[in-house]
Amino acid sequence: MSAWPDLVTASLIGTERAEVPATGVPGLPAPGGAGPGRSVPDDPAAALLDRAALLTVARRGGRPAGHAEPPPAAEPDPAPAASPPAGRRLARILGGEHPDLLAEWLTAAVACDRRVPAHLLPALLDRARRVSPSDPELRRLSAEAGGSRARWLAGLNPAWTFVTAYAGAGQDAWRLGGTSQRRGYLTALRARDPGAARELILQSWEAAGPERVMFLSVMANAALSLADEPLLEAALDDRDAEVRGWAACLLARLPGSALGRRMAKRALGCVRVDAGVLEDHLVMSPPVQWDTAMRRDGLSPRGGGSLQQLDDRTHLLLEILARTPLRTWTREFGRPAEQILGLLSGAWAPVLFTGWSRAAMAQRDQEWMIALINWALAGGPTGARFGAETLRQLARRVDPARCARETAVSRGAEIPAPIRDAISVLRFRYDMLKELQL
Amino acid sequence: MSVPPDRVSSVAERWDRERVLALAPDAPSQRTAQSLASGRAWPATGAGTGALWGECRGSATAPYRAVVDLSGPAYRCTCPSRKFPCKHVLALLLLWVGGAVPEDAAGPPGWAAGWLTARAATAGRAPSGEPEDPQATAPKDPKAAARRAQQRETRVASGLAELDRWLCDQARQGLAASQQAGYGHWDDIAARMVDAQAPGLAERLRALASVPHSGAGWDGRLLEEYALLHLLAVAYRRQGELPPPLRETVRSRIGFSLRQADVLAGGPPVRDHWQVLARRDLEQDRIRARRTWLRGRKTGRDALLLSFAAAGQPLDDSLTVGTDADADLVFYPGAVPLRAVVLAKHDDSHGGPPDGGPVTGLLAGYAAALAADPWLDSWPAVVQVTPARAPAPVVRDADGDALPLHPGAGDCWPLFALSGGRPVTLAGEWAPRGLWPLTAWDEGGRAVPL
Repeated sequence: MSAWPDLVTASLIGTERAEVPATGVPGLPAPGGAGPGRSVPDDPAAALLDRAALLTVARRGGRPAGHAEPPPAAEPDPAPAASPPAGRRLARILGGEHPDLLAEWLTAAVACDRRVPAHLLPALLDRARRVSPSDPELRRLSAEAGGSRARWLAGLNPAWTFVTAYAGAGQDAWRLGGTSQRRGYLTALRARDPGAARELILQSWEAAGPERVMFLSVMANAALSLADEPLLEAALDDRDAEVRGWAACLLARLPGSALGRRMAKRALGCVRVDAGVLEDHLVMSPPVQWDTAMRRDGLSPRGGGSLQQLDDRTHLLLEILARTPLRTWTREFGRPAEQILGLLSGAWAPVLFTGWSRAAMAQRDQEWMIALINWALAGGPTGARFGAETLRQLARRVDPARCARETAVSRGAEIPAPIRDAISVLRFRYDMLKELQL
Repeated sequence: MSVPPDRVSSVAERWDRERVLALAPDAPSQRTAQSLASGRAWPATGAGTGALWGECRGSATAPYRAVVDLSGPAYRCTCPSRKFPCKHVLALLLLWVGGAVPEDAAGPPGWAAGWLTARAATAGRAPSGEPEDPQATAPKDPKAAARRAQQRETRVASGLAELDRWLCDQARQGLAASQQAGYGHWDDIAARMVDAQAPGLAERLRALASVPHSGAGWDGRLLEEYALLHLLAVAYRRQGELPPPLRETVRSRIGFSLRQADVLAGGPPVRDHWQVLARRDLEQDRIRARRTWLRGRKTGRDALLLSFAAAGQPLDDSLTVGTDADADLVFYPGAVPLRAVVLAKHDDSHGGPPDGGPVTGLLAGYAAALAADPWLDSWPAVVQVTPARAPAPVVRDADGDALPLHPGAGDCWPLFALSGGRPVTLAGEWAPRGLWPLTAWDEGGRAVPL
């Protein structure tokens, strides 16, 4: 029907200057044919619009189907998709509700061998692409929880090629790739074979330069073992302050490390149990000195180490508590976590709460996290200066099935905002983990 | 202090997170509201007597103050945002449905109470929330009504004559100039159609302003629209020669609306298990429109339900995509009766996926419908297809016949992800520019809105 382009051209120029081309549709009388009311309008503009209307409808109604080749199909995935409720919750997380719980949803899905519901993959992969490289772990988790369907999609959209980087990264990625490919390779290797990853880091350590920070951040995303200690202990004397900081952090997390023993010694000098007249209570004496051994272990005081102000000493105590193995306290005081938290500590309660919570999160100690959050929800450590941010983080890491999801703060008073938020996060996570078990 | 009577308990049962998010004017508002819905940003909130209020810390030194009257719902916020409702109001509602807004027996603070009291006073004057639509109520004085109807016919007739002159002027001077024309070019003639009481034409004209910037082929698309409007003007002029159903189609496209009572009285109800296939929400000016597509399991008939809401008000949510509704429907008269209203709903049930047909079947159905209603540009599609890239997104059926996906629908990645390169049942709207995908059914037979 070549008449249509002619009509469009005529309409662009205008009938003042262009002829109205003749048109016709096979099987229909031509406009202006015989019959009442079929007269051609005198106005060429109206004639053009008449003909265009006829052709528009004829072209729409007579449109033939196009032809396309079938696309390659995705491999079937042996793992089933997550349950519909779990999918709806993932959609809520991707839509902006508690976006920081995305990694936990994915981790839990991978742990029980469920896949992301297919229609949510585009939103997930877009998110993983945007947040990276600040969170390479999210890319790895997305690729893993996305399964074969995610790899198939990555083949269609170049923006998502990172998915295949985790699936098929070989030795070449390590030898020839840039930092992000090397990080991807190392992350995958560490998840698969921690010993081989450690060996690779040891071999590459001397020549690595600024990549050492990347090595340590990869180690931080997986469980540590004492076999990692020699490398980390040596890294405490590294030239690079960032490497030293990472190493101190990781050693404080490592059960049985020498750094942990050194911290315990310092901590026990600051906190002891005193038998009171009516009840036992905790007596606190924050450190009065700061030395180079403390600096080597990652303790940095505020105010240049003068420790004149009580605030500065309190801060140092907090840092020590945060790096001390929690077993130190249960062993030394001879009671479980919740009983230790039940000891009277007066105005020190917020400091103890923050320090111990940081330790519990770093050491991934659920017993302590549960005891600490129950303490907070009962209104134990009150104090606006400490606590709110710690409680926020604690609510995102504690096992929600094993801790309280209600506050014991008396009903009459208004519930403080941090506690309300913590409860809403705990309930959200509880439901989320339940749904993934379905 | 006079505030609305206590309705919180009855209202609270009907509110949930989805309902709050459905009030948001757009997706970014939904996201920012959710990130704002944390106790940290809200030092003071309270609820009681059918209302919510709260102070939100923003970038300004003074906090923003948001109030919600749940009975409307109606909102007010002191922030400068032009979105309605704003993110503060949405965040406050989210906090409330999350149980994080405490009941305050002392009642609202002064800044909230003033507005709520004023609202209650207005509500007392006009007890029904529905705006008075002169068309929707039965005429009290038949003679005056007949005179008004005659006046309207005269106005529409002269408006359409003016429109036709305008269209011929465009064709005479050439459409090439349209690419430089601003929105005013179409807004002016659209405003004259509003004056001529032809709102359907006004809406079509306003939509044309974006055509010259819609990419290659814009000239052809503009000519199509002008030609169809011209056809409408001619059809109205000669409506006496048209068969009655086509005459109804012409009049409804111009903007004559039928009273719902007349529709319900006019045709026999059709009872069926209506599969709720797809839903599409459109926003125009400050009105939100929802199109819900149904297909009868027994009759095989297609039906379109339209519902409208003002910005900030919830849309009708009584039918869920992927379910079957056992209901009586009454169709509006027309050459291709599609639009319908629900006379009575008897039951809901979980429906499986509909039967998706081949591409040629869809095109044949559309061609037959076009023969009866040449202005039809949105046709229900239920097909069994595999999405592919060729390189623009298309869907292909088992015979290899393919249709383009609508360019306005974007990349359609969720559809691709769901399919994984295998055929899926897909429901959507077929339009001259392509298929707009709306719902697909996954391997488990569950409907997934796209």
